[in-house]
Amino acid sequence: MQNVATIFRREFSAYFISPIAYIFIIAFLVLNSGLFMTTFFLNSAADMRAFFGNLPFFLIFFIPAVSMRLWAEDKRRGTFELLMTLPMRASEVMLGKYFAALAFYLVALAGTLPIPIMINLLGNPDGGSMVSGYIGSALLGALYMSVGIFTSGLMRDQISAIILGIMACFLLFLVGHVAVAATIDGWFPGFGSLLQQYIGLSGHYEPMLQGVLDLGDLAYFVALTVVFLALNTLWLEGRKY
Amino acid sequence: MIEVRDVTKNFGTTVALDSVSFSIGQGEILGFLGPNGAGKSTTMKIITSFLAPDTGAVSVAGIDVLDQPLAVRGKIGYLPENVPLYLDMNVEEYLTFVGRARGLSGGRLQERLGWCVEACGLRTEFKKPVQELSKGYRQRTGLAQALIHDPDVLILDEPTSGLDPLQILGIRDLIKSLAGQKTIIFSTHILQEVQPVTERVVVINEGKIIADGMVGELAHVAMENNRVFLAVKQDTATVETALRELPAVNAVAQIVDGEPRQDPAGTSRFEIRGPFDQDLVGSVAQLVRSKQWDLVELHEAPYSLEDTFIALTKQSQRGVA
Repeated sequence: MQNVATIFRREFSAYFISPIAYIFIIAFLVLNSGLFMTTFFLNSAADMRAFFGNLPFFLIFFIPAVSMRLWAEDKRRGTFELLMTLPMRASEVMLGKYFAALAFYLVALAGTLPIPIMINLLGNPDGGSMVSGYIGSALLGALYMSVGIFTSGLMRDQISAIILGIMACFLLFLVGHVAVAATIDGWFPGFGSLLQQYIGLSGHYEPMLQGVLDLGDLAYFVALTVVFLALNTLWLEGRKY
Repeated sequence: MIEVRDVTKNFGTTVALDSVSFSIGQGEILGFLGPNGAGKSTTMKIITSFLAPDTGAVSVAGIDVLDQPLAVRGKIGYLPENVPLYLDMNVEEYLTFVGRARGLSGGRLQERLGWCVEACGLRTEFKKPVQELSKGYRQRTGLAQALIHDPDVLILDEPTSGLDPLQILGIRDLIKSLAGQKTIIFSTHILQEVQPVTERVVVINEGKIIADGMVGELAHVAMENNRVFLAVKQDTATVETALRELPAVNAVAQIVDGEPRQDPAGTSRFEIRGPFDQDLVGSVAQLVRSKQWDLVELHEAPYSLEDTFIALTKQSQRGVA
């Protein structure tokens, strides 16, 4: 645990040493809040469904941009060799990095908290669905981030890492889409729905926007996140160079 | 202290290491020599458990590297060829991070930081961002990082590459000052760097160990003959014939410095070769005395490490062909 904390501290502060962190956070807030606020007053509904609804698509780009440096940068700089010869497990280094990137995302997400406060002042919203919406977006970010750290590990440079990350996250997003599932079902009957149910994320994410916290949905996010983190560890331990 | 036994490593179809074996005793310094791409770095990466060997075993202080990599890593300080620095940190933050990651904290960490900064001459750069350091200081920061936890074993991959002569001297002195307390392997392809630091060398070429021993003994392995240099004021042909008749002499070659035969002062120069187990200088000296030649110079001409090294690599290549 001490080891995870040491790596976490280094990686988390690495985000804030460069101006990139602030640019990222500002871009995240401006784009997200901006998109939401343009329609908010037209809809005149005191809820954040539109806001959370945008996230699965928006984060496909934002999260891999945060995670791309996690391994790719270390490999380019040579610090990968330092990390992998420290007296700690590969999984501890990996978790330190993962939690640092996740914490960075949660900081950005926390920046949107003025929105629910404002809505509370303007109307009488359903607090429960906002809370579950935030839980859902945290879990969504955690899942994408685990995909992102995994793809960053596969690549030597950050550009390939972000592109692969975006594609992988997009795939998760896509197979959850009804139309896509129907198309795949057309080719391999039943397979599309199977993917949609177990791999695709919309079906597990959208109930949380309605304020429904289902144990199965939580388990979906946690399990898939753990799978990608475990894959990352396996890759670290089995690497060949 | 370090045992490498029959280690083989392939990268795809290329054989990086081919049953490499050697060992180093406690407190010994080992110079690890070889041309670029010979397998020096790969061997070091395997000892530090960064890479796993395909076959064979490595143990450090009796602990198997594959069985207990974490225990082995704790004992090793490692400076990879590409100095692993975080450019966005300053020297203090960087060394503190590595110290913490290696399990140091509180007073012990401060004490070790102070020691490393003194030993590696980083006092003036302590608060500078790593990004702004010169190549020499980056190398020293890398060395400080390897020393921070006071390891028993130091593995230094090309610790002096890219440094100026004065900095090389500094690193050399630092390594020498650690002699006896720590077991050190350092690799280099610059041969002159080895002898001032250690006598014990292992030479590797194309993934195979081609020599293992003291620098002085290497010549015996690599070269067929001992070498003596003679200069006498005497007619060249006479001397050459007389030399060839000596039983201890295998070959005589005249050294012509541009000018054939004697130089204007009447001196003839020869390189004489004979087996290592014979007293070559003695028998030549006797000949000169008995003939009452006017002696200008007579001495053994020991092979430089370069000569030895080139002969060794050629030998091993012939072996393969």
